[in-house]
Amino acid sequence: MANYLAQFQAIKSSSDRLVVSVEDVSDLWPSVKEGFEARLPLKKACLNNKTRNPVYVENLPAEFILTTDARLRSRFPQEQYLFWFREPYATVVLVSCEDLDEFKTILKPRLKLIVQNEEREWFIVYVSKAHPSNDQATKMAKKVYARLEVDFSSKKRERCCKLDLNGADASFWEDFDSKIVESIRNTLDRRVQFYEEEIRKMSEQRLMPVWNFCNFFILKESLAFMFEMAHLHEDSLREYDELELCYTETVNTPGKQKDFGGLEQGDDQAALLKPEFKPLSQIVQDDSFREFEFRQYLFACQLKLLFKLGRPVEVVARGYSFIISFSKTLALHEKFLPFCLREVWVITACLAIISSISSIYDGELAAPDIEKEFYRFQGDLYSLCRVKFMRLAYMIGYGVEIEKSSVNSASLSMLPWPKPAVWPSVPADASAEVLAKEKANKQYIDAIKDNKIRIMILQANPRMKHFNIQRKPLPLEPSSLLREANRRRASLSVGNASELLDVRPTDGSGLDGYQRFSPPSKIYASTMPRTYSGPVNFESSVSLDRPMRLSEIHVAAEHALKRTITDPDLLKSLSSLEEFEKKYMELTKGAADNYHHSWWKRHGVVLDGEIAALCFKNGNYDLAAKSYEKVCALYAGEGWQDLLAEVLPNLAECQKILNDEAGYLSSCVRLLSLENGLFLTKERQAFQSEVVHLAHREMKHPVPLDVSSLITFSGNPGPPLELCDGDPGTLSVSVWSGFPDDITLESLSLTLMATFNADEGVKTINSSDAHILKPGRNVITLDVPPQKPGSYVLGVLTGQIGNLGFRSHSFSKGGPLDTDDFMSYEKPTRPVLKVLKPRPLVDIAAAVSSALLMNEIQWLGLIVKPIKYSLKGALLSIDTGPGLMIDESHMIEIDDHVKPMEDKVHADELDITRENAISTVEFKQFVLENGKIALPDWASDITTVLWFPVCAIDDRMAVGASADCPQRQSVVDGMRTIALKLEFGAFRNQIFERQLLFFSFLIIVYKMTIAVHFTDPFHVTTRVSDKCNDGTLLLQVMIHSQVKATLYLHDAWLDLQPGFVHVGKANGRPVSGFFPLVISPSSTAGILFSVCIESMPFGDQTELLQTQSILNIMYGISGERTNGAHAPSSLKSESNEKLHFKVAIALQRPVLDPCVAVGFIPFSSDCLRVGQLVSMKWRVERLKDMEASPSSSCNDEVLYEVDANPEIWMIAGRKRGHISLSNARGSRIEITVTCMPLISGHVRPPHLGLPGLGDENISCNPAGPHLVCVLPPTLSSSYCSPA
Amino acid sequence: MANTACFIIVSRNDIPIYEAEVGSAMKKEEAAQQHQFILHAALDIVEDLAWTTSAMFLKAVDKFNDLVVSVYVTAGHILTTILLNPLYLPGSRITSSHFDTKVRALARKYL
Repeated sequence: MANYLAQFQAIKSSSDRLVVSVEDVSDLWPSVKEGFEARLPLKKACLNNKTRNPVYVENLPAEFILTTDARLRSRFPQEQYLFWFREPYATVVLVSCEDLDEFKTILKPRLKLIVQNEEREWFIVYVSKAHPSNDQATKMAKKVYARLEVDFSSKKRERCCKLDLNGADASFWEDFDSKIVESIRNTLDRRVQFYEEEIRKMSEQRLMPVWNFCNFFILKESLAFMFEMAHLHEDSLREYDELELCYTETVNTPGKQKDFGGLEQGDDQAALLKPEFKPLSQIVQDDSFREFEFRQYLFACQLKLLFKLGRPVEVVARGYSFIISFSKTLALHEKFLPFCLREVWVITACLAIISSISSIYDGELAAPDIEKEFYRFQGDLYSLCRVKFMRLAYMIGYGVEIEKSSVNSASLSMLPWPKPAVWPSVPADASAEVLAKEKANKQYIDAIKDNKIRIMILQANPRMKHFNIQRKPLPLEPSSLLREANRRRASLSVGNASELLDVRPTDGSGLDGYQRFSPPSKIYASTMPRTYSGPVNFESSVSLDRPMRLSEIHVAAEHALKRTITDPDLLKSLSSLEEFEKKYMELTKGAADNYHHSWWKRHGVVLDGEIAALCFKNGNYDLAAKSYEKVCALYAGEGWQDLLAEVLPNLAECQKILNDEAGYLSSCVRLLSLENGLFLTKERQAFQSEVVHLAHREMKHPVPLDVSSLITFSGNPGPPLELCDGDPGTLSVSVWSGFPDDITLESLSLTLMATFNADEGVKTINSSDAHILKPGRNVITLDVPPQKPGSYVLGVLTGQIGNLGFRSHSFSKGGPLDTDDFMSYEKPTRPVLKVLKPRPLVDIAAAVSSALLMNEIQWLGLIVKPIKYSLKGALLSIDTGPGLMIDESHMIEIDDHVKPMEDKVHADELDITRENAISTVEFKQFVLENGKIALPDWASDITTVLWFPVCAIDDRMAVGASADCPQRQSVVDGMRTIALKLEFGAFRNQIFERQLLFFSFLIIVYKMTIAVHFTDPFHVTTRVSDKCNDGTLLLQVMIHSQVKATLYLHDAWLDLQPGFVHVGKANGRPVSGFFPLVISPSSTAGILFSVCIESMPFGDQTELLQTQSILNIMYGISGERTNGAHAPSSLKSESNEKLHFKVAIALQRPVLDPCVAVGFIPFSSDCLRVGQLVSMKWRVERLKDMEASPSSSCNDEVLYEVDANPEIWMIAGRKRGHISLSNARGSRIEITVTCMPLISGHVRPPHLGLPGLGDENISCNPAGPHLVCVLPPTLSSSYCSPA
Repeated sequence: MANTACFIIVSRNDIPIYEAEVGSAMKKEEAAQQHQFILHAALDIVEDLAWTTSAMFLKAVDKFNDLVVSVYVTAGHILTTILLNPLYLPGSRITSSHFDTKVRALARKYL
């Protein structure tokens, strides 16, 4: 059957549609042909697919062929059977008859004969030529047709239809179509069944020796072809798939060595779109086909169907996987194939599929997912093609030009070299080319040689990049090409490394890597043996055994490739560097675009980087920069720093060349921000110097540089700085510098943001330090001007390097540099500054509460208590009020205040120890200058007490009081005030005034006034304790201590006023044995003086009234200044100097010769009650005639005055007035005053005085002060509820 | 082929938070670079695959010549390794030397 292969191919190519045969019985074809063929292709033909399911074919092409046609007549029955697919699928019998008899006798038997072949699907078309106006003819035709139907149609199947040539019968054509389709369907079903049966039978024999794949193939493909003709492409495709599966199994069965194919001219070009590329008969091999051609053939058939099915996605998907799998197959047979045929085939296959797909793809694909997949496969195809293309280019010497990027390296260095049986050798006539290649190399080396130093650099730094970045180049080859090529040469022993000059093992360095790594002598030796004599001389090695030099390898590969490649386009692309780059760019762009469309952004962007590299190489920096930016953005965004470190320097270089200062700076900063390990210190220093260099230049468009990734900052650990309201301060902040070296900043400032109120805006605070940032952590101090109360967090760091402003938003965790940008912003910000609400910052109080000595120099203590606030540099102004002065002859003392209040309890025991303690503490003395003292620094944070000597002055003499009516000493008399003003705060701008804070922007003052109480040491009261019969008076003087100190009475004497003398003419001193008399604080002592009245003429009495007796007391004081009164500081503590205190005492002579008597008349009722009016009555009576008294001008009138304590009595009526009293002796008068007692108890009643007469002339009854009893008010019952 | 493996943990934001080159890699520097590149590119595929399957272990998502990329996606795409260190801040780099030692020990055991 294999013999039929050629015929089969020919038939297949000649028949492309279904055939419908026309049996023209009545010579009607010419008249109906036009109408019939107008029905083609058949619309919406309903066919059955292989699984017997109806399928609607939109347009089913078919062809009408007359049975008399040569094409149908010349076939042998066997052929008909074999190639059944080309036989007619339906037979249309055309008849016309207008005579019933004629029909019966002639036509019917003839028709019976025609339709007797059961194999055929047929139907009869009765053509009526009758004109509609011709009733007779029409009637006849109807009769004949009815007869025809009876004879040929059955109940099962309608086989007749009628065409009126002259009438319009629309229903005919529908009938006609359906009958054709029905016939075709039936035929198709039968034939499919037949083929399936045959295939099944054959498949059963597969393991038998008679099995022949070709036969199987013909059957299978016949079926597939039939489906294809019937437009059942799906079924056809399935047949091909099965065929492929079957073939793969056949070809893989181990057995005899089979010819693979692929050795013919043009085989390098993939025939994936050309099933007819080679006649199958040419590739027959025994009972099967050559794999190389046949698999391509099968795949081409599949592709053709896929195109017909309109499935571009499947085309690329299947195409890609076929290329991959076929490429593997090629690898298995590589040693028999032409040099690099595999690579070339892959390239052409990929390009063929890509170009075919782009021509049919209309840009409208169903679902986005499918679209993505479509683009991805296209990207994969481009990418695969690109890699293979680079491999070819590398072998012919364009490797130097290929970017050694990650993607290229990963693709090429893991891709094995082609493995031909024998590596191509240099053709005999190619020496000129070798020379040319060497010349190019020589130029390159000469260029190096010009500068010996650069050679060294080049050797040490194989890859020179911008910023002198040194990186080992990434390899583009799996192993050294030199080694590989020589190893595979037939005549060389394998693997003699030293002979091959390859000093290094397979370390993956490329062509240029080889040249740069080798010592110079070896470079010369290997590349230019004729011009330079190296240590190894290859001059003589012209034989085959000489290893090939690299240039020779390149030339040999180029020649071999030229023999392999037949595609003119590919040949052209490899013919020159320019063409190579053009193609390379095209492929890279294609891959990148498609990956981008497929949302494989990483794949796409990586290839963008390759585009950029090429653009850069060709000087198209603008495009290069744009592409590099995309790559960098991706890597940076996803944090793949190792990859970013590869690309970022390239971007920086582009930007530098383009003079894009802002971009360049930002790239430098990003480079510096990368992890430390990615660049050498030297390189990082180069980045920094670039930044600094640019920053100090005049920039056209200065843009603030964002250094968030490089410079980070945070508040110092610990609690935030607390400032009092209105205070400036210094904030200490940690700033981390990512620069490798110290960097000098022109300025540095930070913004503070209030947490309490967003409207507050931001406040900028500046650093006053020298701005040199060390690498790593720096502590920067910033001056904080007074802020409003609240918490503040750090905002943005700004600063300036040269002319370049920069800013950073990045908070640092406080540890190592945090590179994850997105994290930085999420961190909770800690307040760094708290400005407290206004509060008292200091308290000043007097150290003593008890009184000090009047008229003596006393220590006045001021307790200055800072309230959690430093008083550093505070200035205290002291201003004394009237009656008080500071004794400037003494120093002012300051010392630590050791809570005197607490110690007071143990004052006695602790006195000594504490004084010792104080003396060890810093103790300082000052002089008051202009009323101001500067507080010492040591005292700024602790409570101190300030002692300064004051003297309160009171010119008035103390007056003794009568014990009977003790006159309260007015406290106000001893009160003196001191105004204080304290200026303090960091810049003395806090001034405290009257315990309130006064705000002003510059100065806050604390001012207060302190009241200090001064007093005399004693309060003296006197009373006459007894009046003896002999006129001696016992005068009791009571001395009350007024101070909280122990007083010592050393001496006391009484200077009596005229009219009184001491008894016995003594000097007025008590018995001296009593002295010294100790008076404890607040206690009282008494001294008794005995005096008598000196007799003296009456006329002197008026003089006597003005004089007073003086009590002199010599005393000492022992007191603690912290408690109150103490020994005046003018006295030496140990000296026996005594203080002198004088007090005036008024003594009154007794009434011996009264001229007027005043008598208090008892109350009418027994008891007085509070709130009850009572009449006070006094009777005044003249005891003497007053003629002798010349002093009184109007003797009949007497001045009176009622004196009452207003707290006890309310007086109604006149308190003072004149009453007339006759001068005659015995005249009397009563004075009545209405009073009301206010308090209950024994109280002194109001007293009637006669100011016009001396007390000594008035006789009182009762004589002395007396008391009356006042009862509480009666209970009021109005509030009592009845029981 | 050298017995080599590159192990990278990638956070949800595609940021590598842990890297370890294990195995007897001959050429350290270049290989590491390439491995990073390959793994990074493989994220494209993982992104597509991770949502189409409920499996956590995506076997051989990508093949690059002889290198095979396998991925283990954790539930919710959040790393379970967070549990290792209570002080770990999600998304930041894993710097624990203890973790590193463990990874390397496991690698020796199974590679």
